[in-house]
Amino acid sequence: MKTKKLVFTAILTAFALIAFYIESAIPPVTPIYGVKLGLANVFTLFALYALNPYCAAGVLFIRIVLGSIFAGLGVAFIYSLVGGVASFTLMLLLKRFFKEDKIWVLSVLCAIVHNIAQLLTAVIIMESWQILYYLPVLIVSGIIAGAFTGICAQIVFVRLKKYIGKFNR
Amino acid sequence: MKNRVWIIIFSAVLLICLGAWIFVTNFNFSTNIVGIYQDNRLVKTIDLNSVTEETEINLSSEKGNNTILVSNGHIRMKYADCPDKICVKHGDLTESGTPIICLPHKVIIQFENPNSDVDAVAGAE
Repeated sequence: MKTKKLVFTAILTAFALIAFYIESAIPPVTPIYGVKLGLANVFTLFALYALNPYCAAGVLFIRIVLGSIFAGLGVAFIYSLVGGVASFTLMLLLKRFFKEDKIWVLSVLCAIVHNIAQLLTAVIIMESWQILYYLPVLIVSGIIAGAFTGICAQIVFVRLKKYIGKFNR
Repeated sequence: MKNRVWIIIFSAVLLICLGAWIFVTNFNFSTNIVGIYQDNRLVKTIDLNSVTEETEINLSSEKGNNTILVSNGHIRMKYADCPDKICVKHGDLTESGTPIICLPHKVIIQFENPNSDVDAVAGAE
């Protein structure tokens, strides 16, 4: 990995961590667990399109580990990790079908899968099927939050594309 | 596919989910069991969702008389011959609120199955 790329990945990770931290300081809109914006994913998506899947994985998983340490390691770490693995797998599988003008679509799909994966984790941890009751809300929240973060990542990527090119040469 | 196609697909899913959510919240499939206690003993349990018509339950002891009104999904103290009538003023028993308590007559009306699973999820973070 070229040094430039490494540094760029590190900066994106730091940005993602800051976004994650700031977001956790904002009071939640609803009392429902799992309904949140996921601003940090702007940077994962950006890394996936601007750099490569390895850098994106670095941004995502280092952010999850460090973010959970800052927030106090707990159950939230397991949820984050499961959601991260599920959505990142989908992101890798589907990336080739979505060009840079469809980043937001990929983001929405990943957000939905992220929420569903977290909900299933909750079912296992709580040992209760009643939690599936939240599925519709989490899909709605995934669509809205995913569209928002995806559009952010898309705008940033399209604007910065000409500067990013040189990293990948 | 065009952006417009995706927007239509996601809007459709969004509407379906909102519909499902409204459906799930308005039609309570679970039981809603309320327990009535007198002198710390469970006197009666009622599933509020299975009540079809308004019924009155009379509770009397040497301490005094209470009349409880039960209708579908609701339960409240209709009458009490105690001086303060706090339990009557309490109104309907709500899941988020406190139990209905008639202190002078030692009558308590409360939910038997607070949705502990749901609360556990909300408090997981």
